[in-house]
Amino acid sequence: MAKALPGKYNPRRLLQRVSNDLPELLRSEELWLCAWCYRCTERCPQGIQPTEIFLLTRNLASEEGRIPKNPKAIIREIMRSGRSVSVPDGFDEWREGYGLPPIGMTISPKAIEEQRKIFGEELLRRLDA
Amino acid sequence: MTEYLLYPGCVASVRELGYEMAMRAVFKRLDVKLRQRDDFNCCMPACLVHSVDYKRGLALTSRNLAIAEEEDLPLMTLCSSCFGNLSRAKYLLDSNQDLRRDVNKLLGEVGREYRGKARVEHVVTSIYKDYGPDGVREMSVKPLSGVRAAPFYGCHLFLPQRYSGFDDAEFPQKLDRLIEATGAESVDYHEKTSCCIGCGSFFGDVSEEAGLKLAEIILDDVKASGADAIVATCPFCMMQLEVGQIKLREAKGKEYGIPVIHYVDAFGLSLGVEPSELGLDLRRISVSPLLQKLGRD
Repeated sequence: MAKALPGKYNPRRLLQRVSNDLPELLRSEELWLCAWCYRCTERCPQGIQPTEIFLLTRNLASEEGRIPKNPKAIIREIMRSGRSVSVPDGFDEWREGYGLPPIGMTISPKAIEEQRKIFGEELLRRLDA
Repeated sequence: MTEYLLYPGCVASVRELGYEMAMRAVFKRLDVKLRQRDDFNCCMPACLVHSVDYKRGLALTSRNLAIAEEEDLPLMTLCSSCFGNLSRAKYLLDSNQDLRRDVNKLLGEVGREYRGKARVEHVVTSIYKDYGPDGVREMSVKPLSGVRAAPFYGCHLFLPQRYSGFDDAEFPQKLDRLIEATGAESVDYHEKTSCCIGCGSFFGDVSEEAGLKLAEIILDDVKASGADAIVATCPFCMMQLEVGQIKLREAKGKEYGIPVIHYVDAFGLSLGVEPSELGLDLRRISVSPLLQKLGRD
């Protein structure tokens, strides 16, 4: 990501901002630009795990109700259907045409109930806010 | 008989049917049994779900590990992102007892527990471990002679090393060795271990812009290497590098025409599996030039 958007995203700057500029960072786009390629975590000579630090910092933004629109929509879909990608109607027939077993059975209603319970009421409400 | 617990994942089973077909055809040929369950949930990408709540996200990912322990079989993912999330959860819970206790408290609310016994594999790591380059070479009946293939590792198959444990973090070579075992030549090029951001960036226009820019850098490099095809390991990478070609044609008039296949496609072709059984006609960029070169179009 740093290679694609050198002006907008830099993991070193992001780490500095976690300690020096936290309130602003929690409102910024940059906090959500890490694409978790893990190269910084792999290479850090001090063994800091920036990827994990960025996730925890996003948690602080989340607690303030600041979850960007697109990630929020995908998480809402996961909590509704158990999958990050929505399955179109009639998809099993389409899969059958390619000799593939039905997908409808691969996530049971019980599994969705369990995942919603683990995620919790408070977070489910935060997704709808 | 080798047996795995299949973890289908969202992207492979909804958007990449060709890959799923190839995976099933190859493991059927190898007499590998794939057991399925109906109660896995999404791997809960760290960049999305763990971003809003670290521990609950981790518990949701680990719920899948707890299910795998009931079956006492290694999990096998199709997607490198699923592999990355599940192996990360396993690493974190195995190396931090306090975190494991907290996560198990959440799992306990739905009557589940992670005990530390789950094993996580990816289609490519399982092929490497079960057969290795020597085994792949021995089984090859229709070698991909004359094909120049550009390996594209994708991030989570090998990064970070402490999670995946599959290959060297700076100089991975296992995919190259597996490709060579099919009879193809593995082409070296600068971008072969780059990130495509396909599985990690869901931010709208900014992610689109960055993804297209990275696809262009990677595709230009593959083109310059003279490779006949890209051989990837992850359905997200495959989408980024195929859709990238379509978008760059529309936006810049660039014509790459580089087929993007998965390693199981290359392996399947060398095993003598028919291209139609591998779902190769479902690829977004035509693989005909590659099949013509092999005399199998």
